Amino acid sequence: MQEATFLILTSLADGSQHGYGIITDVADISGGRVRLRAGTLYTALDRLRVDGLVEVDREEVVEGRLRRYYQLTPDGTKLLAAEAAQLHANATVAMRRLSPLGVVT
Amino acid sequence: MNRSASLERGYRRLLAAYPATFRRENEDEILAVLLATAEPGRRRPGLAVSADLLRSAALMRLRPTVPRSARTVRAAVKLICLSALAEAAALISLVVTYGSIKAEVLKLAPADWPGTSLHLTVDFVTGPIIVAMLLWLAWAAGRGHDWARLVFSALFGLTTLAVLFALALDTPTVAPAAFTCATVVWFSQLGAVLLIFNPRSARYYGHEPAQRQSA
Repeated sequence: MQEATFLILTSLADGSQHGYGIITDVADISGGRVRLRAGTLYTALDRLRVDGLVEVDREEVVEGRLRRYYQLTPDGTKLLAAEAAQLHANATVAMRRLSPLGVVT
Repeated sequence: MNRSASLERGYRRLLAAYPATFRRENEDEILAVLLATAEPGRRRPGLAVSADLLRSAALMRLRPTVPRSARTVRAAVKLICLSALAEAAALISLVVTYGSIKAEVLKLAPADWPGTSLHLTVDFVTGPIIVAMLLWLAWAAGRGHDWARLVFSALFGLTTLAVLFALALDTPTVAPAAFTCATVVWFSQLGAVLLIFNPRSARYYGHEPAQRQSA
């Protein structure tokens, strides 16, 4: 799974979000390292919807413009949990092996 | 002109690159996000944002629309792309080794050269068309177009005839590299035909992409 996809799913794990909310949340989660652009975000959201991992929760009209809120589906939640567990397991091994070298901060 | 209106017009021009169905459903929403994330005072879309929108639009137009769970269809699309690659490699190999093919045929059976020469000319002309057709069929098959399965099957029939014809002309001896590539083309197309007509693929064909249900 690409990092942007992982971060979008992670953002939605906290509850439904609209596009702009996901962009700001992903920037927060990644400590400002990943700044999603609108094109990338909506291409990813379209893919995730087709794959049944994300769905539209509700729609609102704010200042005359449509605002759509997205949420994880049960499959999306399951996939994110599996991916997070895998990354966590890999990171744990890496940290354990780096520890004797004194390079872990 | 109002700054915001000018910027909005610039974004709308870029969003026109997206497929119409996607635009109808998402344009206003993306536009709202683009305007919300634009730097204050900006009158025209920035280079990075423009590049991102154009790249995303190209991706939306080219990528398969069947879900990732449609493994048989996605594998078939990869095999069709592989066959296009192998077809291009066969063509390049024929161009590069034309001199040695001619020398070999003239040495083994000089009377066969006019026929072989005609065969090579036909290959040089039809090769690029076939590569383009395969890439187009890979695109169409990945987007659930039922006609793509039928056209691709017909093309596989022609590939089979071409391979048999190449065997009759002793191509494995005079142009071994091109024949190896042709063999890869045939096997990858055989695999793709079996996959797109697999019962698990059937549900992704026969409907318009917008109506198709995700798995």
